[in-house]
Amino acid sequence: MVAEEHHVAHPRPSQYVKIAILLAVLTAIEVAIYYINISLSLGWVNTAMLLVLAALKFIIVIGWYMHLRFEKITLSRFFGFGFALALSLYAIVLVSFGVLALNR
Amino acid sequence: MSEPTAPPEDEAVAHHDEHESTGVENRKLGMWVFLSSEFLFFGALITNYLLYFGREYPQGPTPAEVYDIPFTSVSSFVLLMSSLTMVLAHNALSRRDQGATRTWLLATAMLGSVFLAGQVFEFTEFIVEYDMTLSTNPAASAFYVLTGFHGTHVAIGVIMLLSLFGLSKRLGGLSERQHLNVELVGLYWHFVDIIWIVIFTVVYLLTATGGG
Repeated sequence: MVAEEHHVAHPRPSQYVKIAILLAVLTAIEVAIYYINISLSLGWVNTAMLLVLAALKFIIVIGWYMHLRFEKITLSRFFGFGFALALSLYAIVLVSFGVLALNR
Repeated sequence: MSEPTAPPEDEAVAHHDEHESTGVENRKLGMWVFLSSEFLFFGALITNYLLYFGREYPQGPTPAEVYDIPFTSVSSFVLLMSSLTMVLAHNALSRRDQGATRTWLLATAMLGSVFLAGQVFEFTEFIVEYDMTLSTNPAASAFYVLTGFHGTHVAIGVIMLLSLFGLSKRLGGLSERQHLNVELVGLYWHFVDIIWIVIFTVVYLLTATGGG
């Protein structure tokens, strides 16, 4: 059976530029947090904030630039499965070796 | 800049015949599955680095002690902007604006090359200034292998982008069938970008000691 294409309106070039500006701002915030942490030693807050910002950038690029949010759910499932598998596998390795328990 | 070209009929038909029961073109599905498997590849290298970076070594500095965060931040910005030019190339091809497609493909390849040049500069600085080579200590090895493999992926992406640019130049534009090729190269390129987003945060910002 030939399935139909999943046509949803993709962003316009001006929207892509706005997304790029957002990504650049998020990167600037990340670097600012890095320097703030050097002088204030934010501890786990620094780690949490940097990981949240990285996750945001990650989702924005996958969703909008790779168009995953406009694609069929099958692709999200394949991609998500690989990501979840890698994340859980290596989290177990890092916990096993005590790296995630380190208080930096 | 605008050179609209209509795709040949037979190619357009062939393009739509490649669907399977999933409703997704085979090559596109294959690319997503390949990229999904790449998470395991890069995950192993990032984990390897995290296992070694915080330890004490009798020989040489660790990467976390010599990072140049402002420089790497600029490199990260360059790679992020290459994702913008890539998506603009794909968008231009959707509008059948062949001139703009070529311009954005070339811009993406150039930004990728700038990123690679930055990586070569960074490696050279680490080796010459800090005497941190591939065999100095396990943390340095893990760092060079991880960032080196990422750089290799960027280099492969640049070659694919330049191939598409050359093909477009030679044929006077990319056809409907080649539209999917641009999309696949775009997916690969954005993936290389998201891997760098993770590396920049986890390997650079979270492990740097600020003493570089």
